[in-house]
Amino acid sequence: MAGDGEPISEAEALEQLRQTDDQSRQYYAAWWLGRMRSQHPEAVPLLLTALRQRQPRNPGAGVEHNAVARNAARALGKIADARAVSELLAVLDDADDGLREAAARALGELRAKAAVPPLIRRLASGPDVAGAHRSDSPRLQEPCEAMLEALGAIGVAEAEVLAVIKPFTRHERPLVRSAACRALLQLTGETAWADELLQLLQHPQLQVRRAALMDLGAVGWRPALVPIQRTLAENSLKLIALRGLVENGSGSEADSDDEAVLMAMDALL
Amino acid sequence: MTAERGDSQHAADRIRAFEQASSAEELVVATRRLTACDDPLATVPHLVRVLGFNNPGAAVAAVDGLIALGPAAVGPLLTHLDAHNYGARAWAVRALAGIGDPRGLDVLEEALATDVGPSVRRAAARGLGALRLESLPEDDRQRLRERCLEGLENGRRDGEWVVRYAVAVGFEGLALPLPPAHPHSQRVGTGLRLLLAPEQEEARVVRLRAGVALKRLERR
Repeated sequence: MAGDGEPISEAEALEQLRQTDDQSRQYYAAWWLGRMRSQHPEAVPLLLTALRQRQPRNPGAGVEHNAVARNAARALGKIADARAVSELLAVLDDADDGLREAAARALGELRAKAAVPPLIRRLASGPDVAGAHRSDSPRLQEPCEAMLEALGAIGVAEAEVLAVIKPFTRHERPLVRSAACRALLQLTGETAWADELLQLLQHPQLQVRRAALMDLGAVGWRPALVPIQRTLAENSLKLIALRGLVENGSGSEADSDDEAVLMAMDALL
Repeated sequence: MTAERGDSQHAADRIRAFEQASSAEELVVATRRLTACDDPLATVPHLVRVLGFNNPGAAVAAVDGLIALGPAAVGPLLTHLDAHNYGARAWAVRALAGIGDPRGLDVLEEALATDVGPSVRRAAARGLGALRLESLPEDDRQRLRERCLEGLENGRRDGEWVVRYAVAVGFEGLALPLPPAHPHSQRVGTGLRLLLAPEQEEARVVRLRAGVALKRLERR
C-alpha cells in the first residue's frame, strides 16, 4: 500500500489526489505530480479541484484542506500550465498567508503578467505595513519574499512596480532585503542591486548567505562567480547557485565562456 | 619550544591538544592542526574518528587532511570506518573519492548506487572517474575500469541533476587517459551523448557539461 513518501506511479498519484477521504494522501499526491512535472491530461484539472478545496482558516480546526491546496498551488507552478492562472490569482486574496505565498511563487514560475497588479496592491503599503510582524506568529503580514521574487520572475519592469519593490531593500529582515534586491536586479540589471546581494554573501548568518546564493543564482549574475566560490556555505548550495549562473546568465560577463563556471562547479563536487 | 605550547610541530602534542578540545570550534582548529604536523601518518586514525563526530567544520578539515595524505590514509580509513554511522560513511566517501586509490572502489560503487544523500552520490560519481589505475597491470586496470563504467552508466539515470552532472565529470575523467578507439572510450562516448540529448536530460547545465567532456575527449 502506497502511503506517505513511498514511490508511487503517476496513475496512483492521480487516484490518490482524486479521492477525498485521506487528505495526507492527497497532500503527497499533489506534491508528487508537481515534482514529476506530470503532463497527464487529468493532472491540472485535479490539482485545480484540490486548490479549490481550500477553506477559511480556523485555528483549532484541521487545516489539512489548505495543506493540500498549498501543495496543489506549488505543483501547478511547476507544471506551468496557463489554465491555472485565474484560480491562482483568486488565491492571492485568500486569508491564509501560506496559501498566498504558494500562489505567488507559482504565478512567478508561470510568468503570469496578470499577477502583477494584485501583487503590487498587496505590497504597496510597504515594509511598515505589508512587511510588518504579525502578532500571532513570526511571519510577516504578507509573504513578502515570495511576492517580491514573483515580481522579479514575471519581469514587468515598469516604474510603478520598481517603486513598490524598492522600499523593501531596507526591510529589517535580511532575507526580505535579499528578495527585493534579486527582483530589482532581474528587472533593471543595475549593478547596485547585485552589490547588495554580494554583501549579503558575507552576512554572519548562514541562512542569509544561503538565500543570497540562491538569489544570485536565480538572476544568473555572472560577475558573482568568484564571490560565490568564496562564500562560507555548503557546496550543495554553491552548486545550485552556479547552475543558475550557467543557465540564467546575466550581467557584464553574460556572454563569457560557460566553461569557467563549469570548472568552478567541478571543483565543488 | 616546549611540548605544551600550542605551536609545537610534534604530532604527539597536537594529538593531545585534539583529545582535549572541549568545544566544536576548538575541535575544528585542533583538527586543522592535526593535518599539518611533523608526522601526519600518526594522526590518520584521529582524522578518521573526526568523520563520525557530527561536526561539519571539523569533518571538512579532516577530509582535506586525509586527501592530502593520499594512499597512505586509505588503509586506516577502510579499517576504522564505522559502517553504522551514516555521517562518517558520507565523509569517508568524499575522502576516498578525493584520494582516488583503487582500494576505495567498493565503497564508491555502493555509495553511488544506494546512498540516500545526493551530495554523497555526487562525490562517489566524481571518484569513480578519478581512480588512479596507471600503476596496475593492464588486466586489473581493465577490470576495475569496467566496474567504474558500469557504476557511472547506472548513475546516469539518477533522479538528481547534480549527481548526473558528476557522472558527466566522471565519464570524462575515466576516458581521458584512454585512446579514442578503446572500447571503454566508446562506451563513455555513448554515455555522454545520452547526457547531451534534451529528450533524455532535462537539466541544461548537465547537457553543457557533457558537451564540454565530449569536446575534450575529441581533442585528446
